[in-house]
Amino acid sequence: MNIKKYFGPLNKDNPVLVQLLGVCSALAVTAQLKPAFVMALSVTIVASFANLTISSMRNLIPPRIRIIVQLVVIATLVILVDQVLQAFFYDVSKMLSVFVGLIITNCIIMGRLEAYAMSNPPIPSLMDGLFNGFGYGLVLIIVGTIRELLGSGTLWNFQVIPHSFYEMGYMNNGLMVLPPAALLLVGVMIWIQRAKG
Amino acid sequence: MKFSNRYIFIFITIIVVICAAILTLASVGLQPIQNANREREKMTQILKASGYSDIQDVIPFFKKVSEEITLKGEKNDLLVYQVKTKDGQPCFVMPVRGKGLWGPIWGYIAVKQDGKTINGAVFDHKSETPGLGAEINTDKFMSQFEGKLLFDENGDFTSIRVVKGGVLNSNIDPSMGVDAISGGTITSQGLEKMLKNSLEPYISFLKELQTKSVIQK
Repeated sequence: MNIKKYFGPLNKDNPVLVQLLGVCSALAVTAQLKPAFVMALSVTIVASFANLTISSMRNLIPPRIRIIVQLVVIATLVILVDQVLQAFFYDVSKMLSVFVGLIITNCIIMGRLEAYAMSNPPIPSLMDGLFNGFGYGLVLIIVGTIRELLGSGTLWNFQVIPHSFYEMGYMNNGLMVLPPAALLLVGVMIWIQRAKG
Repeated sequence: MKFSNRYIFIFITIIVVICAAILTLASVGLQPIQNANREREKMTQILKASGYSDIQDVIPFFKKVSEEITLKGEKNDLLVYQVKTKDGQPCFVMPVRGKGLWGPIWGYIAVKQDGKTINGAVFDHKSETPGLGAEINTDKFMSQFEGKLLFDENGDFTSIRVVKGGVLNSNIDPSMGVDAISGGTITSQGLEKMLKNSLEPYISFLKELQTKSVIQK
């Protein structure tokens, strides 16, 4: 199996930077690395399994109601993820709050179902979902790292910038913890992506 | 391939039933863990209001230092948690509940043994606006409540005022009010109302504490 053909979403087909999908949640949950990572993981899981499920029954789905079937599958997976988070990652699930539920409306997932899973066999669909999740996650993790490092001086809640820096007059950037900072960062990343080719 | 209406109805029914079954199983199966998480969070908040933060084993610690007291109220029974603080004095934690801008807000107010000084306060919310009303659960906002007084010099219950524009810029005594959140006016007002309404039933209990502490002195 040629795995390279699935690498598009990591670079020149990136769902956030090139297709501009899922930007809303990318702005909302990236103030810290941990929620950004859990969000990325949740979207990856939902995208992969939604793709796998829809692809396995793609020949049985009547085209007239395919969007409804896709939504039912996505909604089921998202609620499952939400329930699991509430049970095992309670702190993070509180941080993510409504944004887990909003994965249902994340255009990346529905986009991949329509564009790929409806017309391709299950295993390639699973890979496609996986790598689109990775592509989304990559952006979230980069933005989350920069925002948490500059905004709070921590990474994954561990103090990274030493206290001596603060004593010398270093200050956390207050803008970084606010949503506009994410917009600026994603904007710069889109700029770099475009400039590359 | 052409699908008949009959096929469409049967197909979607099967899909929906399968999904519903999966979700029901997940919900019922995970419920006990989720409830335990909520219970633990409640204990953490009560402990935080009493001055303990960063406790690792919350449940045994909570059982060790706290005691649940039920008071006979006018309408309903009232719940108070008596928690032994770090300096050995008991403090009394009362739950408060109210309405923010988008949904419920709640919290715990710990009052010192003298029955009028606030030891600490913890607030949380379901869905207030991030960066605005949601700031009520930040340490910056909550720590303002430490040492504030619920009663004035005449012994009348005044609750705590949440003052727009800053308590220092108003004619309210700085020991009876805190600064509201800029951009979170409705949440701030809701919080003030919540404190007043939720603490009112406790007035007789708090006054009792006040007389007791005077006698002890």
